[in-house]
Amino acid sequence: MPNDDIMELTIAELAPKIKAREVSPVEVTEAALAKAERLQPKLNSFITILYDQARDQARQLEAELMRGEYRGPLHGIPVGVKDNLETAGIRSTVGTKVLANNVPEQDAFVVTRCREAGAVILGKENMEEFAAGSTSSNIHYGAVHNPWNLDYIPGGSSGGGGANVAAGVTFASLGSDLGGSVRGPAHCCGVVGIKQTYGRVSQRGLMVTSFNGDHVGPMTRSVQDSAIMLQVIAGYDPLDPSTVPVPVPDFSASLGKDLRGLKVGVPSDYYFDLIDPEVETAVRKAIAALGELGVEIIEVSLPSMKYAGALRIAGMADSVVTHEPYIKSNREDYGPTVLYRALAGQFVLGTDYSKALKVQRIIKEEYARVLQDVDFLATPTGPVPAWRIDSDTVTLDGVAYPSRGPGSGMTARCTSPSNSTGLPAISIPCGLSEQGLPIGLQLIGRPFEEELLYRASSAYEAVSPVLGKRPPVS
Amino acid sequence: MTISAETLKAMIRDFKGFELSDEELELVRPELESYLREVELLKELDLSGLMSSRLLRAKEEGDAIA
Repeated sequence: MPNDDIMELTIAELAPKIKAREVSPVEVTEAALAKAERLQPKLNSFITILYDQARDQARQLEAELMRGEYRGPLHGIPVGVKDNLETAGIRSTVGTKVLANNVPEQDAFVVTRCREAGAVILGKENMEEFAAGSTSSNIHYGAVHNPWNLDYIPGGSSGGGGANVAAGVTFASLGSDLGGSVRGPAHCCGVVGIKQTYGRVSQRGLMVTSFNGDHVGPMTRSVQDSAIMLQVIAGYDPLDPSTVPVPVPDFSASLGKDLRGLKVGVPSDYYFDLIDPEVETAVRKAIAALGELGVEIIEVSLPSMKYAGALRIAGMADSVVTHEPYIKSNREDYGPTVLYRALAGQFVLGTDYSKALKVQRIIKEEYARVLQDVDFLATPTGPVPAWRIDSDTVTLDGVAYPSRGPGSGMTARCTSPSNSTGLPAISIPCGLSEQGLPIGLQLIGRPFEEELLYRASSAYEAVSPVLGKRPPVS
Repeated sequence: MTISAETLKAMIRDFKGFELSDEELELVRPELESYLREVELLKELDLSGLMSSRLLRAKEEGDAIA
């Protein structure tokens, strides 16, 4: 099978070919490495490409297949790993110069799970410095470019992963999401990204993380592939107290099931208050398409979202504490956007931190109440499509908002609330802007009901106007 | 609400002796102002009667773990 054809497949399409030995893990890995090498000068999506390790892994996995040993649907599938996830013996920089020579001794829990499932780790992916932003324009390792238009950001902070999955360099990438860092790149790059329920996936080995709603999540080219990836990485980890010991269902079981009888809530507050008209049109068309699939559309109200900005207060304080071990002794190695944004956390008063946690409680209760009346919510993933790499602001309704560093946050306003509530949220491509940049639809569900989100999003995916569309750079 | 530059510098200095120039302080200010706007908005909200959201999980045999 020609290399480029292999790299166009989804995991669900490729896995049976590997199992049947029609395509070998070595062949797939060589195709992925060749594509990574070809596109790295354009996308700058990797910090480290693991040529030797990936080939060694592929040879081992091929030998297993020849012995009749098949690990499952990730056997021999090349995946990318964000550079803030620990990889044993492999440099893991968190996108910062401070940790440029950091080589962990252990794999992150999710990396171990992927290796055990037979995935080939293709490389460590470029990202925002310290995962603190939504551009992936990294001051130390260079900007990641969007394969739909190289002059535009891929979203962040897991931008390398989003770009790689969209361009067909990897079949899936593991990112992290503290305010939308998986869903943002999914929105900007036209791929599927899920931030599952807080506690569903272990964060062990996620570096320089926050106490305030960080998650590890996959980006893929299809909803089915997302279900396959989450199946591999989900589950209780006794060494991570944030994980919850609940059963892990078969996430693929409900794919393709009828949506009739389900109810979707469309918030009348907050999510559509500040939004690019093209994004709003695409998202409302997607919601109408859900209606045509049999879902009852109900307008819902989330009035407490008026105070959603307060959710960032706790994050500010957490940020300065998180950076404390590095910031004083490595001041010169920090980029200005992260440095000055982190330092602002020093001003947060304890009383305000406490109030922020109470606001978080109010908002969580409000979502829980609304999700008793509907099965899931539908919102935009981002208020605007991707913006130009060389732009420091995003203009909406005549107001220029900072797109990076202190005072930024507007671009993550639709994703970050789910980090505070801990509710599962998935982004699925639903349109392209006039400039040809992707737009994402976000579905938010009840705790531990990712299966329902997959059911709804896979049904929508089949009728999406962008189904099968690929970026110019691939 | 406006906080003087000297007060802000003193607060930053409290962070392991970190010194900021006036120019650097201006780079921090947008984040600070965003914080102060949110705090101001919270003044209209009654936060006194909320129940704790601390999570305890019960083991099957009845013990509780935090």
